[in-house]
Amino acid sequence: MPAHEHVYVLNVMSDDHPGIVAAVTGAVESLGGNIDACSQTVLGGYFTLIMIVSVPEHIDPDDLAARVRKSESSTAEYQVLARPALSAVHFEPAESTDRFVITAFGRDQPGIVRRFSQYLAGKDINIVDLYGDHSGDDFVLIGQVEVPNRWDIRMLQADLEQMGEELGFAVKLQHENVFVATNQLRLTPSPQARG
Amino acid sequence: MLRTDEILSTIEMLHAEHLDVRTVTLALNLDDCAAPSADHLCKKLRQKILSRAHRLVEVCDRVGAKYGIPVTNKRLAISPAATILAGHGRTAAVQVAKMLDQAAADCGVDFVGGFTALVHKGITPADDIVIKSLPEVLAQTERVCASVNVASRRAGINMDAVHQMGHILIGISEATADRRGFGCAKLVVFANIPEDNPFMAGAYMGSGEPEATVNIGVSGPGVVGSALKRRLARDENLTLGDLAEEIKITSFRVTRVGELIGREVAAELGLAFGIVDLSLAPTPEVGDSIGEILKTLGIQRVGAPGSTAAVAMLNDAVKKGGLFASSSVGGLSGAFIPVSEDATLADAVGKGHLVLEKLEAMTSVCSVGLDMIAIPGDTPPETVAAIIADEMAIGVINDKTTAVRLIPVPGAKAGDLVDFGGLFGSMPVIEVRNAGASEQFVHFGGRIPAPIQSLRN
Repeated sequence: MPAHEHVYVLNVMSDDHPGIVAAVTGAVESLGGNIDACSQTVLGGYFTLIMIVSVPEHIDPDDLAARVRKSESSTAEYQVLARPALSAVHFEPAESTDRFVITAFGRDQPGIVRRFSQYLAGKDINIVDLYGDHSGDDFVLIGQVEVPNRWDIRMLQADLEQMGEELGFAVKLQHENVFVATNQLRLTPSPQARG
Repeated sequence: MLRTDEILSTIEMLHAEHLDVRTVTLALNLDDCAAPSADHLCKKLRQKILSRAHRLVEVCDRVGAKYGIPVTNKRLAISPAATILAGHGRTAAVQVAKMLDQAAADCGVDFVGGFTALVHKGITPADDIVIKSLPEVLAQTERVCASVNVASRRAGINMDAVHQMGHILIGISEATADRRGFGCAKLVVFANIPEDNPFMAGAYMGSGEPEATVNIGVSGPGVVGSALKRRLARDENLTLGDLAEEIKITSFRVTRVGELIGREVAAELGLAFGIVDLSLAPTPEVGDSIGEILKTLGIQRVGAPGSTAAVAMLNDAVKKGGLFASSSVGGLSGAFIPVSEDATLADAVGKGHLVLEKLEAMTSVCSVGLDMIAIPGDTPPETVAAIIADEMAIGVINDKTTAVRLIPVPGAKAGDLVDFGGLFGSMPVIEVRNAGASEQFVHFGGRIPAPIQSLRN
């Protein structure tokens, strides 16, 4: 639950250096606001931050963005976007799904992410997390996805592997529990408990 | 949410290092199939096995695909055949074995274990029938695996049974002479046989187990070997303690995968989940070798001084990692050193680095015993029995499972190469020193009493 009545989603992009979060949060605090949720990523030397903030008094989203933009003490400015946050925008899949991880390794070429994401979209598979980067000569693409239970996983795997073969990519689709089991101390949900 | 580095490290383990689930073994109690006529007994056995196990392979393949981890072997283990054969004769024993063979084939599994007699304190007429039928059974079936428990911590060593097994091994070897004595590869002689072991040829379902259960054997030494090599390439100045830690972590990860798949297979089959067996079972595939791990640990020639200490460290680290990963650990749970199935060990025998006596020493600190070792076919039965007795003594005195799977190869002498094919691998026939010099000891017979449990030096 947000701390205050007026809730905004705030997006900040900048080249990465120490002090960005401190500056941004300082600007929010100057409005008497609160950080309700935040997530940051650094990719290729660029910093990006998404935040849900709430403030006690209504403020125009553009004014909020301008205030955050000016919080940078140096001459360089942040790129900032702000808009009112609607609590109803949470995407809920209409059917029961299970979490899988798709991984693809191969020689980079234009269209890789598009080909895979178009296939997933066509199957109503929601991407909840996406990572792609170069690793040596290869491009590595990792997507954490929600797969509707109506699909036969082996058919999806066959499609993806076939597509990978055409693109020169090694592609795997695996249930997320195998990654939880091999890396984390938390328990994987027992199969009986699943709906 | 999973982290990228976590996903990448698992992918590396799964696809670059070929992590698999080595075996899913469905254990099944068949006691209620007992019947006065052999035909009726066979009919009931077949019905029960098919109704419980016909979906095993399909479920394992589906669950394996979901997680991207192959289940390499699917197998059956049954309650001791001696129990259902009580009151029957040898003809019935062979008939039952053939039916088990056929039922296993119909379920699509490669082995069914449990043609078993437990004779550590004495031999019943039914046990005697099972044991005496072994040459015929193992020659006339493909998938049936047998085991005989001749010693235990509480009973000591039944030397009459040990002596008999010496003769039986030679008998099986001769009955399968056309396959170079291969029948013996499907028989394990045990001390302290575990009730829930999923690995062949020694798998059977012991007493105190539920009606049906699913037991899992985890992946082989390849994954541990690769993890060690990667760590050694990355870091300098590592100590054996660091390497033990690496083995422990890898064992944790491998065990978690085994349990994940085992529980799901059991749930899909509507059966109880039994145990995860932490054993590292090598295959003849290059790199999937305990010998290779010993080399990575700095033993340049497997069998050199230090080999026993290295195996001990490996075995212990595997257990420590696995025990934290699962609360349902059982079976043999130790590193196997089956010589013909491990290319590096077989090579060490060929070069004369690894001898029978060193193998015996190594089995005192690991699982499971003198395993898949080809010996000359003219080894006297009493000497075979004496080798069994030595291995049983290690198990009984140290309160652990030990076993013997020797293959006397008809017509072969030390140094001759034998190839058993597939997973069973190949090796040069090992030299048995002092053959014929244990006859009097074995002929005494009787029982070596159960050992003292205190003053254990």
